[in-house]
Amino acid sequence: MENRPLEYDYTVAKMFMLTTIVLGIVGMLVGVILAFELAFPSLNTVLGSGVAEYTNFSRLRPLHTDAVIFGFTLSGVFATWYYVGQRVLKVSMAESKFLMAVGKIHFYLYIVGVAAVVVSLLMGITTSKEYAEFEWPIDIAIVIVWVLWGVSIFGLIGIRREKALYISVWYYIATFLGIAMLYLFNNMEVPTYFFADGAGQAGIGAWYHSVSMYAGTNDALVQWWYGHNAVAFGFTVPIVAMSYYFLPKESGQAIYSYKLSLLSFWSLMFVYLWAGGHHLLFSTVPDWMQTMGSVFSIVLILPSWGSAINMLLTMKGEWKQVAESPLIKFMILASTFYMFSTLEGPIQAIKSVNAIAHFTDWIVGHVHDGVLGWVAFMIMASLFHMAPRVFKKEIYSKSLMNTQFWIQTLGVILYFTSMWIAGITQGMMWRAHDAFGNLTYSFVDTVAALHPYFFIRGVGGALYLIGFLMFAYNIYKTWTVGRQVEERELTNATPMAA
Amino acid sequence: MFHWLEKRPFFFAVGVFVVIAFAGLVEILPNFAQQSQPTVGTKPYSTLELTGRHVYIKNSCNACHSQLIRPFKSETDRYGSYSKSGEYAYDRPFLWGSKRTGPDLMRVGNYRTTDWHENHMMDPIGTVPGSVMPSYPWMFTNLADVDTAYAEQLTIKSVFKVPYSMGDEKILIPMEDGTSETVEIATTLAGANAAALEEAKLIVADMKNQDVKDMVAAGKIPEIVALIAYLNSLK
Amino acid sequence: MNKIYLAAIVTTLAMLGFTYVAMDIKGGLNDDIVNQLAILGAVVLVIATVFVVTKYVRQMQTDKATGDLTEENWDGIGEYMNEMPFGWSVIFLLTIIWGLWYWTAGYPVAAYSQIGEWNEEVAAKNASIAQRAANLTPNEKLHLGKAVFNVQCAPCHGTNGKGQENYQTGDLRAENLNKRALSKKYVEKVIREGSNQLGYAGGMPPMMLQDDADIDAVATYIEGGMKGEQPAQYAVCGSCHGMNGEGMDFVAPSLTAYNVDLVKTLLTSGTKKGEIGTMPREAKILTPLQIELVAAFVANGPATELEE
Repeated sequence: MENRPLEYDYTVAKMFMLTTIVLGIVGMLVGVILAFELAFPSLNTVLGSGVAEYTNFSRLRPLHTDAVIFGFTLSGVFATWYYVGQRVLKVSMAESKFLMAVGKIHFYLYIVGVAAVVVSLLMGITTSKEYAEFEWPIDIAIVIVWVLWGVSIFGLIGIRREKALYISVWYYIATFLGIAMLYLFNNMEVPTYFFADGAGQAGIGAWYHSVSMYAGTNDALVQWWYGHNAVAFGFTVPIVAMSYYFLPKESGQAIYSYKLSLLSFWSLMFVYLWAGGHHLLFSTVPDWMQTMGSVFSIVLILPSWGSAINMLLTMKGEWKQVAESPLIKFMILASTFYMFSTLEGPIQAIKSVNAIAHFTDWIVGHVHDGVLGWVAFMIMASLFHMAPRVFKKEIYSKSLMNTQFWIQTLGVILYFTSMWIAGITQGMMWRAHDAFGNLTYSFVDTVAALHPYFFIRGVGGALYLIGFLMFAYNIYKTWTVGRQVEERELTNATPMAA
Repeated sequence: MFHWLEKRPFFFAVGVFVVIAFAGLVEILPNFAQQSQPTVGTKPYSTLELTGRHVYIKNSCNACHSQLIRPFKSETDRYGSYSKSGEYAYDRPFLWGSKRTGPDLMRVGNYRTTDWHENHMMDPIGTVPGSVMPSYPWMFTNLADVDTAYAEQLTIKSVFKVPYSMGDEKILIPMEDGTSETVEIATTLAGANAAALEEAKLIVADMKNQDVKDMVAAGKIPEIVALIAYLNSLK
Repeated sequence: MNKIYLAAIVTTLAMLGFTYVAMDIKGGLNDDIVNQLAILGAVVLVIATVFVVTKYVRQMQTDKATGDLTEENWDGIGEYMNEMPFGWSVIFLLTIIWGLWYWTAGYPVAAYSQIGEWNEEVAAKNASIAQRAANLTPNEKLHLGKAVFNVQCAPCHGTNGKGQENYQTGDLRAENLNKRALSKKYVEKVIREGSNQLGYAGGMPPMMLQDDADIDAVATYIEGGMKGEQPAQYAVCGSCHGMNGEGMDFVAPSLTAYNVDLVKTLLTSGTKKGEIGTMPREAKILTPLQIELVAAFVANGPATELEE
């Protein structure tokens, strides 16, 4: 090994760090607005009935989920890839003009895609499929963005100096392949503008409109095979990639067990895809498929926990670091929420529990303890680790980071406790009946009962957003006024000003 | 073996792909092999109903309303008989939803009426005290896009062989009582708009909003009329 | 005991306790296995996560990282060649064995079908309801009818049965069921055109009265609640609706009240076109017993206070 460290080029990583922060703020802000619209419905028209169409819960809701998934999270995945990829493959982007150009086009086309998504969703142009709402022109743009990322991944791997691929790279490759396969199959659709030629009359109606290739139950099956695994390959796999790099790097500890990494990876890949059926329990999908979804969900607990346990054991004997560094706290708590969330999911996938949980806020709570507690914590920690290396500056404020940690932790806890209470309460009220089989509650009774929990959830979400703004401010200040640091300060623990 | 793979990115990627693609094959293909057959009595949507379905999708009604009645007594008591696979045979896309912030709508046509929807879409909380549903005043003024719905009907007829009758071609659809019906679509765009307007007139006869009535009388179809046509068709 | 274990216990109790206190268990467990399992699942989730994490946090405090490092090293990150944690491996193996067993033996042997389960659930509940329904007191009937009414009828007719106001016109949007108020205009229309909306067999033929003056007199009398002097022409109506307007079961509805017979007939076979459109065929959703109960409740006047 050579002694002089490579000069890595973080241009593209920097660009995606920016969109991670900006789209994070957008996604979470819209989320908080939605939460309060449910608690206080008059907020739907607070800007007047003229623009109510665009401030309404139902228009904003897909914007929230997509901004967080494809905006915030995906930007975070790209930002960390363009950082981690170079370092663990031991090759700089500066060495290849081609890869640099691909990276930049990747970024700019991504921005165009994001803009198109925002505009089209606000206009109500949607296919209605969750996390796949985009009509075919945007789908094509997304496929190109994805291919460019693939070129970047495999291009960088092609010129690598480190022969064996590090664990994080396994997970990035899996993210790329998984989403590519899922997205293509779920978005098979026929543009009506071109195919409405039954009587020789093409060119009717909206040019961007399309109709799904699949109908009814089949459509549902493909959608939730996709929906479930979009979570797998968007919210689990790439985030595990981050944790395998940033935790050992920041703490200076070696990964606890290669074998555990290996088995967790391959079993996660194999098992995850089978569990999609648990979104369709008690639907019109055949019984055996539903049961398969439930069974594999239970088996899935251990591969997920394997990675989290590997993280926790990597910190064996390092309590001092956990206590002192807010950055490591973020990552440890993220692993904890990952375990919580990956046990909660399979419990909700048990048919009898699902009978209550499905269609209620408990599911919403589950998604958010995963995304707020695990995904966003891990992404923020990654960016905190990257910022001083990318900007060659010291983190602006450690105490601000600490405050942010506790505010956001409180936010997550308020969020998921209020939502699981709301979910179980409503699920039980829907089922409640008297001794004569009469239903006890009309539907609206079960909605009215949720008001306090909707409010608490809104507060939890708002706290989390405040924490995220502190994060954005901290990174901004690091970039602008942070103390210049030397390369040797950047080996492991991130330098932070008090 | 794994260590060997980790040094060969191509084979590694192939390995990952095989492992993740496997489940999809087992899980999804069997149900596709057997084409989704409509149950007796299930008809494709008329032009105005399909237009209304697009309004439903445009406003993400499915974000809060499911269309899937699970086989529990508590659900069949509340919403009517449990869902059967064939009832969704003409649903592209499916609209089962994943969250019931509001009640299920799979059979809402059985127990709500045109006028109820009219009141409710304008003022949900006044209609159902305690509701958290927002109001949709713009649906009373925005015009529905019949053209796109017609384009979709032509597409699904030619690509997916949905049994629409057109011109001289009559395709009989069996009904529960042993009779059979046809669902006609027009042969021209102008004809489709005219047919949708006729359907719309039947809906507005039960409505109160004078502006909406005037618009339909003038040959224009506001979104609310199409949406109500769709909701009434859910049975 | 170590502080960290204490903290874990406190966290668990706090979370479960908070949930218990805050949760308004309105539905109640209801002896419902689904409810019980959902609660159990939530409890297991908290306890398992907190204690497993605590175990590892304890190791962060007291243990030390040991083991042989692999040859490679990426950007300064090494890997130990430690074995997998024993407990994790065993549980993983057990879930796989269980999964295989359940998938190949457990599930096929149970021959589960969700529709079969629904059939059993409905049959069992209906049997138990039929048994209890045999000995209802009139007051119990009213209370049960109210429960049905609140779920199925109140969205339009209001919880007190008085109907709700139209947002534009201020008109009542569904009939006030506390009082059968037939407007003169409506009665005239029915006499001229006939009616079969309530679903009585045969229905009412048009033009039972021919003369405008007669129709006017009868309509005025009925609108007035059948008070005062009865017009002679009413005899034509009275042959079916009764001379006092109370109707005849299975033949013709009461003109003065929403009585049991009227409500039952309407709910089972009526296609009532009211102020706000056609009334839904509730019979598709309600059982005969529920129709019986709700009819008794409506006949009693939905706004009337019930005895406890």
